[in-house]
Amino acid sequence: MEFFLAYLVPILTSTVYMATPLIFASIGGAFSVRGGVMALGLESMMMCGAFCAVLGSYYTSSWAFGLLCGILGGMLIALFHAILSVRYRMNQVISGIGLNLLATAATTLLMQVIWKNKGTSELVVSIDKTIGGPIPILSGQSFNFFVMVAVAVLSWIVLFRTRYGLRLRMVGEQPKAASAVGLKVHGLKYSGVLICGALAGYGGAFLSLDQLNMFVRGMTAGRGYIAVAIAILGRYNPGHIVPFALLFGFCDALQIYLQGQGVSAQLIQMLPYLMTLIVLAVGVKHIQPPAGVGKHETD
Amino acid sequence: MKTFLKNQWARLRRLEEPVLPLAAFLMSLILSGIIMALCGYNPFEAYGAILVGAFGSLRGIVNTFVQATPLIFTGLAYTFAKKASLINLGVEGQMYMGALGTALIGTLNLGLPACLHLPLAILAGFLFGALYGGIIGFLKVRFGSNEVVAGVMMNTIATCIVGYLLNGPLLAEGSVSAQTERVAETAQLPRVFSQYQLSYAIFLAIAACIFVAWFLNRTTFGYELRAVGINAKASETAGISIAKVMIIAMCVSGGIAGLAGANQVLGVDRRLINNFSPGYGFNGIAVAALASDHPIGVILAGTVFGLLSTGATELNRTTSVPVEFVGVIQAMVVIFVAAPLLIRDILHIDGKRRNK
Repeated sequence: MEFFLAYLVPILTSTVYMATPLIFASIGGAFSVRGGVMALGLESMMMCGAFCAVLGSYYTSSWAFGLLCGILGGMLIALFHAILSVRYRMNQVISGIGLNLLATAATTLLMQVIWKNKGTSELVVSIDKTIGGPIPILSGQSFNFFVMVAVAVLSWIVLFRTRYGLRLRMVGEQPKAASAVGLKVHGLKYSGVLICGALAGYGGAFLSLDQLNMFVRGMTAGRGYIAVAIAILGRYNPGHIVPFALLFGFCDALQIYLQGQGVSAQLIQMLPYLMTLIVLAVGVKHIQPPAGVGKHETD
Repeated sequence: MKTFLKNQWARLRRLEEPVLPLAAFLMSLILSGIIMALCGYNPFEAYGAILVGAFGSLRGIVNTFVQATPLIFTGLAYTFAKKASLINLGVEGQMYMGALGTALIGTLNLGLPACLHLPLAILAGFLFGALYGGIIGFLKVRFGSNEVVAGVMMNTIATCIVGYLLNGPLLAEGSVSAQTERVAETAQLPRVFSQYQLSYAIFLAIAACIFVAWFLNRTTFGYELRAVGINAKASETAGISIAKVMIIAMCVSGGIAGLAGANQVLGVDRRLINNFSPGYGFNGIAVAALASDHPIGVILAGTVFGLLSTGATELNRTTSVPVEFVGVIQAMVVIFVAAPLLIRDILHIDGKRRNK
């Protein structure tokens, strides 16, 4: 019991805390891929979300407005991604990588322009984290915990139990057939990518306004790529994505804990990545993305 | 003259191969300039500084190629895998492992003459990179693992392994920063100019590009590789072993990436330094995009990116324009070059206006 309270509770608490932005972003990725658009740009959407959230909070001194700006920031990049890959049929990998490069450079640049500082932004109003009260694991979480649960449940319902979800998945599987039965292929793809941007932006805003109270250069630090991996491991299904994201969060939390114990930092940092690789190899074999990823209705 | 111009315009409108990436490149420069102006900086001053920085002196020109060398290798590595329709996002990791292999052999005092030690060290870089890349290919073939995810994961794993070794077992004696001992004299890549970091690896990089172009277009295996890239199912029916092609493609791709690491260790830094790469791996993908996945084009595209990075230092030194603009320009180049339909659309609007 003592062990439980001393170690397990803090680790589990930070597991949830670390996993939350990943859950938002990878569920976003699921929407994008289910609509047939690869989601390698998640990193840029998170980055832009995190930046815009701080920007919004900085100018209005309101974290709520900041969160809204974060969502819009993610959607802005998503809009670029959609225009490039749906309308102009750009290679979706290159589009994603290009936007990631752009977001990293542009956010650093804007930090320089706005705050005259390349490393960090000024401190802004962040989110209150006492909502969970004395309940273990929930204490120290903000209301975003409940938002995360709601998003996970709702997105599963939307994707698999609504007409919209069915149509989105049809566009992702077989754009030509979807077009033949009269679905608006482009509109549906745009919607999938924009939902992805909104969720990834929210995940980014969580990083800058909930975990911290500022924007730091290169804030997402590869989380967008991990979110891509989680979306794939979870077979683009929110119900499977959540446990994988929690697994990642657990590795992250364990890493922070073990670093305090004098184990080599670099080897511990490897842990989550090594585990994904192992899960990828032996856990979930032969994951196929939707058949229509990267295809267009006229192909 | 008028018909000549008309023909040229028609060519541009149809956007044949060499014109298109060039138009896209210019357009991305213009758009980046507009962004600079919007942020309150003088784009002409910035571009001037970049050009002066990259071409204004021998130092600038040499540094352009110092930056270009690893980018040509990584761009070529990505291109090679891409020809088999494999997306090798693990280039960065393979480069790190290549650098590690090279450093392991290069720092040893084997008592070999330079004509043996140097090739051996380069070979070690190639093999380490090839093995590391081959793992991704193996995972894909054996377990159906997505190569994009595997690549990204293995990037971080590689930097962690190298970081661990450089902070522990391989740390140079008495060194405060994480780096190995200096590479033995016999394993050092000779430099083109004694006072600059440019090594003869630039010629190796160019030769590699030409060799890959020949290999892909003129050998049986190159043909098989391209066939798998175009239609895997059809090639399997035709008797090509997809598994073999994919694993070998990833091995060679990883090996080429490993050469980028070998160059950094043997030619540039003369030792393995932690975090030596400012993102050569991912920028290599950008280079490949600019080259439209053509091995020879990689040479030019790598040089352009090298020019931008070198110009960035001058930008930092002589103007108030933030260096990050170079990152913005690079990203714009990638996006525009890879979106031919977008360029066509923009030029089309432009063309209409001119016809009136």
